[in-house]
Amino acid sequence: MPTPDIVRALLLELGLAALLLLVFAANLGLRGADRRVVGWIATGGVLVLGFTSFLVAPAPAALGGMFVQDGLAIFAKRLFLGATLIGLLASLGEPEVAFARRAGEYHLLLLSSLLGMLVLASARDVILLFVAFELMSIPLYVLAGFLKRRDEAVEAALKFFLVGSVSSAVMAYGLSFVYGAARSTDLAKVAQAAASGQPLVTLGLLAAFAGFAFKIAAFPFHMWVPDTYEAASTPFVAWLSVAPKAAGFVALFRVYFEGAGERAAAWIPVAAGLATLTIVAGNLMALPQQNTKRLLAYSGIAHIGYMLVGFAAASASGVAMVLFYLVAYVFGNMGAFLVVEAVARTEGSESTAALRGLAQRSPLLALAMLLFLLSLGGVPFVAGFWAKLYVFWAAATVGLYWLVLLGAVLTVVALFYYLLVAKRMYIEPPERTGRVRLSPTLAAAVLLCVAGVLVLGVYPKPLVMAALRVAAPLF
Amino acid sequence: MTLPVLSLITWAPFVGALLIMFTARHRPLAVRLIAAVTTGISMAGSLWIYAVYDREAAGFQFYEKLPLVPPLGISYELGADGISLLLVLLTSIIIFAGVFASWTVVVRSQEFYALLLALVTGVFGVFVSLDLFVLFLFYELAVLPMYLLIGIWGSSGEIRPRGIFAWAYRETGVGTKEYAAMKLTLYLLFGSAFILVGIFALYVNAGAASFSFLDLEAASFSPAVQRWVFLAFYLGFGILAGIWPLHTWSPDGHSSAPTAVSMLHAGVLMKLGAYGIVRIAMGLLPQGTSDWVWLVGTIATINIVYGALAAMAQTDLKYVIAYSSVSHMGIVLLGAATLTEAGLNGSVFQMFAHGIMTGLFFAIVGLVYEKAHSREIGRMGGFGQVMPGIATAFTVGGLSSLGLPATAGFVAELLTFMGAWRSAHVWWLFPAVAGTFLTAVYVLRVAKQIFWGPPSPHVHPLEDARGPEWVALILLVAVLVVFGMVPGIAIAPVVPATVALLSRIVGP
Repeated sequence: MPTPDIVRALLLELGLAALLLLVFAANLGLRGADRRVVGWIATGGVLVLGFTSFLVAPAPAALGGMFVQDGLAIFAKRLFLGATLIGLLASLGEPEVAFARRAGEYHLLLLSSLLGMLVLASARDVILLFVAFELMSIPLYVLAGFLKRRDEAVEAALKFFLVGSVSSAVMAYGLSFVYGAARSTDLAKVAQAAASGQPLVTLGLLAAFAGFAFKIAAFPFHMWVPDTYEAASTPFVAWLSVAPKAAGFVALFRVYFEGAGERAAAWIPVAAGLATLTIVAGNLMALPQQNTKRLLAYSGIAHIGYMLVGFAAASASGVAMVLFYLVAYVFGNMGAFLVVEAVARTEGSESTAALRGLAQRSPLLALAMLLFLLSLGGVPFVAGFWAKLYVFWAAATVGLYWLVLLGAVLTVVALFYYLLVAKRMYIEPPERTGRVRLSPTLAAAVLLCVAGVLVLGVYPKPLVMAALRVAAPLF
Repeated sequence: MTLPVLSLITWAPFVGALLIMFTARHRPLAVRLIAAVTTGISMAGSLWIYAVYDREAAGFQFYEKLPLVPPLGISYELGADGISLLLVLLTSIIIFAGVFASWTVVVRSQEFYALLLALVTGVFGVFVSLDLFVLFLFYELAVLPMYLLIGIWGSSGEIRPRGIFAWAYRETGVGTKEYAAMKLTLYLLFGSAFILVGIFALYVNAGAASFSFLDLEAASFSPAVQRWVFLAFYLGFGILAGIWPLHTWSPDGHSSAPTAVSMLHAGVLMKLGAYGIVRIAMGLLPQGTSDWVWLVGTIATINIVYGALAAMAQTDLKYVIAYSSVSHMGIVLLGAATLTEAGLNGSVFQMFAHGIMTGLFFAIVGLVYEKAHSREIGRMGGFGQVMPGIATAFTVGGLSSLGLPATAGFVAELLTFMGAWRSAHVWWLFPAVAGTFLTAVYVLRVAKQIFWGPPSPHVHPLEDARGPEWVALILLVAVLVVFGMVPGIAIAPVVPATVALLSRIVGP
């Protein structure tokens, strides 16, 4: 019996939904305070789905054109699943008791957010897009406040929730204009309406852009980021800092570029302006940070700015380079957060001072952190160099030389604060002796990130080619 | 198939670095032997190519090519002409001497040697790469290890800030090794951002989908592109070459760096900047060169005078040498800016002569510091009696520095001045000659105070150089004198390269 089209298109989503039910059932069946087994089930399930994602082929549009499993969607889904796998691995050994007692809750929420991302990557309809966005976002608010006995966690979650729901409202408002003018929720029709130059569509899309900017945490919509990152548990933050951002970018591509053709160039000034502000603000605000997580939060804002540089190119190569950047960012940024987590578990501190003399205590861990920092800083031989190079390249081909120069100069600012962290690890003497112990799962997650950073740094070509291939049909 | 000798020279130190990291942990002698052998291989290789280079044929020889990323036109492409030949030789001499000069590094010595050797691979790579993209990667490899080398093994100065900005100095840590390491790294990475933008601008505008120097040389660029890109390269490479007013990383960095790193940095890395300007900016952008040569030459004269005056004012021996580098790099760039055959030959020869000379100076300062535990000129005196070998070496270096005939420095300066005299800007000659004069003042003052004057009360029982340290001193002094006596052996291969370069800029 041939598989129905709908199952072929929705294979990963159906699989994930089944995994959700399994996690739910397993959680019900478990008694006692330690429910970590649930975490293993979730991790294993995501691993299986990750492998499956390399077997699925592009399928024809399903659900009347609402849901499309094209190259871009599959590329994005592999990225989400990979990032989730690293995040789940890292949180398995979380010593906090809440993670053992409420493991079911944690993993259910995380997986439903992941389901939202998977659907979002395939959504080609305004309604489905919005629903997927909310499915992705709402569990994140809860997860940010997961350690509910900590005041900061509650505050961070509330801040995140308020900002997030306002952005959703703005986005919904903008999309309602779009629907009013285009008389359809189909993104292909919306693209046609935008191409005909209806002012209401442009206005609506502009409002929606603000909503997206909240989600990807571009300046000036970034305020929730540092507080949320600081208060929430680190493995979750590592994941939060990459996966939803990647989902936001994929949605941006779908709404603003897919089918827009030449008209996509209309978004160049908006995106370039936003990129400028975000790069400058993110890098400057990162300078005085003493808490490594806050430092990474602000530097992450700057990275969103660099990705917007690729977006501002409004071309297939620009989209491809953002996709490459996202992958490099997954490994570099998650890796850096996970090293912070490893050090915090033994030192009980997330400040940069906790990293003092790490090179003499745990040389390999320090080397891993150095690689992540260099990758984030965009130094050759690690992934981040190619990422920055490619987005600059894409921007230069459409003549945005000033943006490239600005980005390149602010990279030096970024290197300053990354090197300050490197200085703590390599130059300053350690305050305490003894190795920093890593749980095996956390070590595995860090190793995955190191491998990603190095492999992409030395041999980026296959991934670049793959990204170019999936981005080409958009234009 | 021929032996890929340029690759051998370039990668031998890198292999040494890997060997040290993986096999010689906690075995200090093995670390040093591996370093000496691998840099010795590089030196043998560079002497060999120097000997067999076909001086009649000129052009790029020992050519190697291996496509890396064909769709983008990136390939691993090596070749050496007369200019690269001389600079590769310089690099191999300095690093070989540097390995011996830092024989006494104790703390984390295997990491030190590994980073040092990795850095040298980057330097060799820049000098022999014909693919601009790969050249850029080598350039970064030559810059990045510097941060850790200075930050971990450097030494902080004995500066006590005074005046109304003293608080700001204390706040930022001026004079400490951490400050110097950070400043140097950020300045050079700032410069590399401009270099990268320049390389891309050439790549896009040439339309040949190739980063190869040879392909880009064949392409023609519009005057506007030439103007802007030349400026980007001048700024980017110029920072590394120490152009005023972007030179301030150099005195701080060189003073704080450990001996071998100062030798390598002042002796070779600053030449990387000058080489980039001559090879890439002037070689690929003839129109841009003629447009901006007035700026390059004028700033070079400022460098010469300003560097010499600043060197006179220093009380810290390492800062004197570091500022003298700023001054001498001015002569290098002035020679290039004259756009005359004599001037360009002088420029290239000065790169070589100054590299050896500064290497020698920093080696000596390192030795003196290790024995006397001070860098303050005022606290030292009469060392000539207790360390005659070191004193003699310093004096030879000093005489070369002020351009005494029969030393390499004389040949370089004479050629440069001849070039300036024949150039379109004759007035450049006056600050340049004045600079030489000032150099004599500070060099002789330092030599007299430290080595030949009456003994200082602070002097402890001191001893002369020992064992491996002699290798560094004798090697460098010998090169300085031999090339001063017989400059023809160095200039002969350079001339065809400079003539070809000039014919592109000013016509045959």
